[in-house]
Amino acid sequence: MTTRTLFIGLDGATFSILDELTKGDDGRQPVMPFLAEIYKNGARCILQSTPNPLTPPAWVSLMTGRTVGNHGIYDFIRAEEHGDDVFFTLYDSRDSNCESIWSIATRQGKKAAALNFPFTAPPAKDFTGFMVPGFIPWRHLRRNTSPKDFYDRIKADLPDFDPKKLAWDFEQEKEAVNKLTDEDRENWVRYHLPREKQWFRIADYLLREEAPDLMAVMFDGVDKLQHQAWLFLASELQNDETSEYHQRMRKLCLDYFRQLDGFLESLVNSAGKQTQVFLASDHGFTTTYEVVRINTYLHEKGYLHWKEGVVDSEETKRRDASMFANLDWKRTVAYCRTPSSNGITIRVAGSEGETGIKPEDYESLREKIIRDLEELRDPETGERVITEIHKREDVFPGRAMKDAPDLLLVLRDFGFVSIKNKQPVVLARDEVAGTHHPDGVFFAYGPGIKPDTRTKKCNIIDVGATLLYSLGLKVPGDMEGQVPKDMFTEQYLKENPVVVGDVTQSNIKDNDSESMDDDEKNKLMAQLQMLGYME
Amino acid sequence: MSVSSKETIKKIIIEIVEDLIQDWGLDLDESVSEKTTLVKDLEFASVDIIQLCVAIEQHFDRKIGFQDLLMEDGCYVSDLSISQITDFIKDKI
Repeated sequence: MTTRTLFIGLDGATFSILDELTKGDDGRQPVMPFLAEIYKNGARCILQSTPNPLTPPAWVSLMTGRTVGNHGIYDFIRAEEHGDDVFFTLYDSRDSNCESIWSIATRQGKKAAALNFPFTAPPAKDFTGFMVPGFIPWRHLRRNTSPKDFYDRIKADLPDFDPKKLAWDFEQEKEAVNKLTDEDRENWVRYHLPREKQWFRIADYLLREEAPDLMAVMFDGVDKLQHQAWLFLASELQNDETSEYHQRMRKLCLDYFRQLDGFLESLVNSAGKQTQVFLASDHGFTTTYEVVRINTYLHEKGYLHWKEGVVDSEETKRRDASMFANLDWKRTVAYCRTPSSNGITIRVAGSEGETGIKPEDYESLREKIIRDLEELRDPETGERVITEIHKREDVFPGRAMKDAPDLLLVLRDFGFVSIKNKQPVVLARDEVAGTHHPDGVFFAYGPGIKPDTRTKKCNIIDVGATLLYSLGLKVPGDMEGQVPKDMFTEQYLKENPVVVGDVTQSNIKDNDSESMDDDEKNKLMAQLQMLGYME
Repeated sequence: MSVSSKETIKKIIIEIVEDLIQDWGLDLDESVSEKTTLVKDLEFASVDIIQLCVAIEQHFDRKIGFQDLLMEDGCYVSDLSISQITDFIKDKI
């Protein structure tokens, strides 16, 4: 058996960086010569990310071919309003309403392997392939790996396998969203070099030993590096007068991309010449130059009230340092839950006596908040700081819309908001950083793919349909994504027409989307409380 | 699901916990028993407790409300023993 389709995810990969790294400079070889070969002999296009270009919604859209309002994964953190309090927990694969392409493929007899994709844990019951999930602490990797014996198998067969190096480290990630010292930042970049190698080795092992029909692996170091080291990577931020530290960091970053290019080449070669290869990112990247403290602004406008605690108490410090909004829920009617959400949630009272606004006041309050957000302007230029304000029904239509923020914001520099209780509302950063941009990347390469072709922009939901098509499967009738035919040669399309098939198997049972039973609610509350403990 | 005996449930919970911690590198004085506590004895963090809840739900193939176990007088408990979890699951299924 041979691998028919190879998919390589590159979290946060963006053309503004990759274009530079695939160009030879003064006759020298490019940093990423193999990717340059894919540019030359493959098809590529901008890949439009989800409305909020963020890892959880975007990767789940890619893996399901469904929009966020349908699959329902909006953020890393899920919130539930409960009486006069709001609790937070983590999303997992069971929270997605939609079937993944991994399950769709194995359900139809294809052998599939997926490594390091977020929100694949715990593995779906009907998934029969190979799965090592991403974004899971190493202590829980074994239990969430599929099949059951695969974890021990890779431990036995790959002498350098080290789950501590491979897996998501919550403490490291938490630290990395803050401003790091120069030394910590350098260590952060170095941390990802061996980490990515671990994922590469498992992927290469699977290709050689199992040759799955669909082999998929995701490298998330691209995103992690770009957040912290954007200053050293973005070509427009480079000049001749840089410090020794800057030069060392740039070299380190380029070493990372050089290593990544080697992984791409090895994986493509291991898969074989007959394999169609696809690469995609969940979002692109750009420069953020300011901090926007959105909850401070909502407080100034009277929508939000901070929780008053004992000043300098351990609990207050812990809560202020947390990534969740810490508010007086009895008096707050609108707030932003997490920095990554870039959303405003309006608190609507579910019943008489509950806190929040009356349902009949919802529309007028939302319009008032929109007008106030439009008036958040740069004091010097008068430019709007929030350039786009979307109502949830416009960007998150679908059966999971009720879980979406009421408003989605796009900042003028595409940055993520801050939810901290600090002044001023808008603050220029001391040093620019990397942030997510809606334009990601999509490449296709191999037999049946048009060479040296730039096609029109695709949407991230198209990737799932494309991978199923490449596998020779029908595209499910309820999949919202479409196969980008202009990436394939006419001959290939003639011999392999796109066929629409049956609908997917939904993760939602009848009426389950509208109401949770008491047990489920209790379980959720328990998880939320435990996360509060984690703060 | 048929009603299971407390002994059976205890055995299942211990097996799930042992499976969870098998390569955490813990230096345990004694094997996991009904007296073992998650935080003090097994160094559980909150994310580990969430994962244990998921594992228990997966084993019993149903959603289980853990609020009454984890909450006490409106606050979350600081630790849990295998015995407490066993009693709770026994009441729930």
